[in-house]
Amino acid sequence: MQSEEEDEDEERESDILSDDGEVDDFPEIDAASDSDEESEEEEDDTDDLDEEDTLEEDSDADSDLHIFPKSKVVVSDITGQKKTVYPEIEPDYDSDSSTEEDPSRTGNIPMHWYDDLPHIGYDINGKRVLRPAKGDELDKFLATVDDPTSWTTAFDKNTQMDKPLSAEELDIIRRLQAGENPDAEYDPYEPTIEWFTGKGKEEVMPISSAPEPKRRWLPSKWEKQKIMKIVRAIRQGRIVGSKPTAADKKHQFYAIWNEPPSNQPPPLPAPKPKLPTNSESYNPPEEYLPTEEERKQWENTEPEDRERDYLPQKYSALRLVPAFDKFIKQRFNRQLDLYLAPRIQRIKLNVDPNSLLPKLPSPGSLRPFPNYKSLKFTHTKARVRCLSISPDGAWVASGDESGVISLWEVNVGREVKRWTLGSKVGAIEWCPRLDVCFFVAGTEEKLHFLMPPNLSPTVLTMTQSTLAPATLPPATQSSIKWISSSGAVEEGPILVIELPGASGLPRQLTWHRKGDYLASVSSSETQGGVWMHQISRRHSQAPFTKIKGAVQMVLFHPTKPHFFVATQRYVRLYNLAEQKLLKTLMPGIQWISSMDIHPSGDHVIVGGYDRKLCWFDLELSEKPYKVLRYHTRAIRSLHFHPTYPLFASSSDDGSIQIFHARVYSDLMTDPLIVPLKILRGHDVKDGLGVLQVKWVNKQPWLVSSGADGNALVWCS
Amino acid sequence: MGRLKQKGKAGAAKAYVTRSSAVKKLQCSLADFRRLCILKGIFPREPRHKKRANKGSTAPTSFYYAKDIAYLAHEPVLNKLREHKAFAKKISRALGRGEWSTAKNLEENKPIYRLDHIVKERYPSFIDAVRDIDDALCMIFLFASLPSNPRVSPALIENCTRLAAEWQLYVMHTRSLRKVFLSIKGVYYQAEVMDQIVTWLVPYQFPQNIPSDVDVRVMLTFLELYQTLLGFVFFKLYTDAGLVYPPPLDSGKDESGAGVGAFNLRPANPNTTTRGQKSDAPKVSSKEVRQTIRKITAESSSAPPADVDFNQIDSFAEGAEEEFVPQASKSDFDVTSSLPTLLSLSSLPKSSSTNIFAPYTFWLSRESSRSIFEFLVRSFGGRIGWPVSSGGGSSFTEDDESITHVIIDRPVAKAPEETIQERERRRRRKHVQPQWVVDCINAGKILLEDLYAQGKTLPPHLSPFGERDGAYDPTVGLADVGNTLVDDAEVSEDGQEEDVEMGSELEEGATSMAPLAVATVDDPEALRAAELAAEAAGIDYGAFEKEVQKKQKQQKQKQDTVADGEGEDDMNKMLMSKRKRQLYERMKYGERKRATEHTKLEEKRINIEKDRRRKARTA
Repeated sequence: MQSEEEDEDEERESDILSDDGEVDDFPEIDAASDSDEESEEEEDDTDDLDEEDTLEEDSDADSDLHIFPKSKVVVSDITGQKKTVYPEIEPDYDSDSSTEEDPSRTGNIPMHWYDDLPHIGYDINGKRVLRPAKGDELDKFLATVDDPTSWTTAFDKNTQMDKPLSAEELDIIRRLQAGENPDAEYDPYEPTIEWFTGKGKEEVMPISSAPEPKRRWLPSKWEKQKIMKIVRAIRQGRIVGSKPTAADKKHQFYAIWNEPPSNQPPPLPAPKPKLPTNSESYNPPEEYLPTEEERKQWENTEPEDRERDYLPQKYSALRLVPAFDKFIKQRFNRQLDLYLAPRIQRIKLNVDPNSLLPKLPSPGSLRPFPNYKSLKFTHTKARVRCLSISPDGAWVASGDESGVISLWEVNVGREVKRWTLGSKVGAIEWCPRLDVCFFVAGTEEKLHFLMPPNLSPTVLTMTQSTLAPATLPPATQSSIKWISSSGAVEEGPILVIELPGASGLPRQLTWHRKGDYLASVSSSETQGGVWMHQISRRHSQAPFTKIKGAVQMVLFHPTKPHFFVATQRYVRLYNLAEQKLLKTLMPGIQWISSMDIHPSGDHVIVGGYDRKLCWFDLELSEKPYKVLRYHTRAIRSLHFHPTYPLFASSSDDGSIQIFHARVYSDLMTDPLIVPLKILRGHDVKDGLGVLQVKWVNKQPWLVSSGADGNALVWCS
Repeated sequence: MGRLKQKGKAGAAKAYVTRSSAVKKLQCSLADFRRLCILKGIFPREPRHKKRANKGSTAPTSFYYAKDIAYLAHEPVLNKLREHKAFAKKISRALGRGEWSTAKNLEENKPIYRLDHIVKERYPSFIDAVRDIDDALCMIFLFASLPSNPRVSPALIENCTRLAAEWQLYVMHTRSLRKVFLSIKGVYYQAEVMDQIVTWLVPYQFPQNIPSDVDVRVMLTFLELYQTLLGFVFFKLYTDAGLVYPPPLDSGKDESGAGVGAFNLRPANPNTTTRGQKSDAPKVSSKEVRQTIRKITAESSSAPPADVDFNQIDSFAEGAEEEFVPQASKSDFDVTSSLPTLLSLSSLPKSSSTNIFAPYTFWLSRESSRSIFEFLVRSFGGRIGWPVSSGGGSSFTEDDESITHVIIDRPVAKAPEETIQERERRRRRKHVQPQWVVDCINAGKILLEDLYAQGKTLPPHLSPFGERDGAYDPTVGLADVGNTLVDDAEVSEDGQEEDVEMGSELEEGATSMAPLAVATVDDPEALRAAELAAEAAGIDYGAFEKEVQKKQKQQKQKQDTVADGEGEDDMNKMLMSKRKRQLYERMKYGERKRATEHTKLEEKRINIEKDRRRKARTA
């Protein structure tokens, strides 16, 4: 449709254009031609017409030919007007330009055929036509100098000589050089001549006689369908006309909270930032201003680590307060907090921290317990590995790593006797019997039975009869030898038990309460670390053929025929009478170092190298009732007081911790453990602190031995 | 035995999703996800077991509730964001091809999202919204003070300015401003609106530029939400206060820089207000109420007449206001007699402090910020005028006779030749520094102007919001510090000056020496100094020695007990469980830190005080 319209428009436009000037020209031209025709007609009709035709052809088709028929302008006799008269062309063969007399005698042949020959072709008679003489360069030059018209000559190939150019030809050359149309007569701007448009020039007859197609005058069905689709969309509201933009941009606020709120709870509101304090004031009290160090410290800390995000400053007047340079940054950080920080709802504890501490009786009300150092006994050579106190509480036997055992009094610290055994003393233990008096010391693969001097005769004879009876009991099958020394009892051991070879240093010795059985634990990792020795039968046996893990300690139950074995991780309880495992205690300690049992027999404490102390209630569970971790280094030894409700632990950090441990007979009450006192007096040497602690029977006194070579007595 | 449980099918692994998986699920870009999170108020969560929530990986990620993400997936704004993405592609293509008309068409049909439903979701009740507008107000006031740039359009800033002015107008109109604090960051204001405490911070009026390490996109997204939220909140506040929202802007005044004054508060059409209120409350006419009251009195029923909403009575009783006469119920005498009525409530000395500036007229000199003090003075009932250089809209000029106070922040200049009239005027008016206004507001009463007079050194400006409990209080400590200072001075410095007095009161001198001795038993030099001082004071050496020994003993005992006590605490700690012990230790740490802070401040103060005295003496 559009294109048709456009066409029509163009036509109309062109009509209008043609209306103003062009149409007026025609009558003139017409008149001229008419008059011409009329004058020609008068002279001779046929010729003139031909002439006219040729003229027309000449002027229209070939502008080149325009040069040759030179026209003359004459005044017509008849009309008295000027007219151009052309020379008559004879309509014969010669009239063709090709038949013009050619000055070249060789004919119209390509001249380069004879380029390297002396002649330039043959004439009509078959004679050679010789190349015309050609001057050399000097002649050429002279010719250009002499002849002023030489620049208007061009070389003619046919004649092989220079020919002067005509004025027309020169004009053509000039025009070509100037980039113009070579035809001088050509007018690029000549007015269009409307031949077929304009008034009176309409074509009356149609070009085609085919009937007009329907589509020309019926509205398009497809267009209608498309339009109807849009109309329908508009009616249904799918297409909306352009919205009123200005009104839309303005937020139309309305009463959004007028409807009752939904019953779901609102999201948690974000925590509000802290309100400013005095130090943020523009004019704070002077004490809030930072000192030079504080300022430096503040500047050197990272912005994230700073306690405050500003430095307090004081201005004498409000007008002097500058803009806060981090304002936008802080607002931005707040927004990051709002949308990037995880939030947890925490109930703020508003409690006095002291109320968190367990309520315990004060140590003052739980006296007596040792709280000061009363005596110091020094082993000069080496660290005191072990000690033991006589059952009557008067004597201490302490053994050091150089093999020296000293016997000294608890009360005054006077050394009574000294034995030198030659090798490291690993353990010492007094026999718990009161009618005899001796102690056992363990050295490398040997157990020595030693008697203190100055015993009362009854005790002395009793001891001697126990350890070295006159009639030996029948010998038993055992790999262990019992050797009684008959001679100098005062000087050396009265009895020696030789443990099997490669069993190493006895780590621990422990007596059954009746004083007949003695258990020893050797430090070797191999089988048979544990031996049970019976004094009355002079017999030793290994209670375990096979045991899992390295045995650290063993203990006899104080009342029952039970036997505790502490391996590296677990404590096992065996019934000796029935020969079976009763219980396995799991303290959760990586490496058990020490263990002791409460005199009542129902509670066990286990200490480990990983600083933990576990309290087991045997009635309660196989898991510890309480786990304490208070030493900063490994626990070395533990001991329950036989009569007082006390126990002590010693550690490699050089401290001894005294606890009050009350055990109730009814099963409902939990044992009460109260830390009482930390005793410090031992030095830490080579990473070792207090190696053993022992309570004095019947007194609240404690004897400790340390790696610094001292044995200390602590009194209440 | 039940079915075997597969890993990752229940519990934390299902309840939490990582951020990247959330983005993948929502099929949007990270920027869009952030925008959604900001708009919807969804924030990451901290799972109790990160490893379980992250399906065994311990890589550091942020977690969201899976339900939160599911909730986001149904968000209409998400769809709009997707449409916007398509739109951005289309328009960039059109622009690239130079199809201007298409681009224009597209631009006209640009997808726009509304946040109304989000506001309603996030703040189901109006109170929730008011409680949470602190941050919104801070942002609005910040952007109102920013210069526009390519990222921040002038239209946005204009809108922020308008919202800020609307809020200030409302606060001034309802007299709800409570506290003001001039800090180094800006001015903190605290208002009480709908029984909610709203605190906002306004920067001082300086051009600020957004620093490069701040993501403007995030701020603008927040601002988008805040503008909508504040629009709705203000609408409700204004309509509840019986005002037209938005308040019409007087463009002429605005041109002259009148600021807040360019808006006219206009009471809403009475018809529309009643209609609005009726839609809120059940319909009760005043007549009905009166009738019911009469009925109650006539019957003298035992039921306490508390069922009647007094607010409604007030709002609908346009005529003569009847005072509600409480009828003593027969069963319960004290209950009824103590019932408060609206009249009694309103006649209470509600807060006379909201009107403290009512009798005064202020003139603001040109160096004080008009936006701050116009707001402050008008919120507390005062009138204020300012010179033309601070902007137009002042209701009176400087030579107005009614001016009582001049807020001036200049040092006192050499008095130029002033006419008698001017001198007279100067004499009549009180010239105060700006801090006076703020301190008056915080104190709730008019303070003495002398301390704040022009050119005087101002007293310190303290935070009205208070510090936490037990923190150092610069006002309370004054007396104590003064006393110790006095003691100190007497003993150490002024010993010789007060010779005569000391001689006459030997015993007292000795006792006053005691604390010194105690303080100095540890270091011998100080002891010697004390000895000398004692000699100078005329105490004989034996007495001094005895005193010192006694004190030493006492101190030792005290130290012992203290050490014992501390040791005990430490030992008791070992019986606590690990968790409790850590809690205890944290609390103790905090306590100690606060205590050191406190003592440090006190020490500083004493030093400052000493310096000052020394200077005063030398001078």
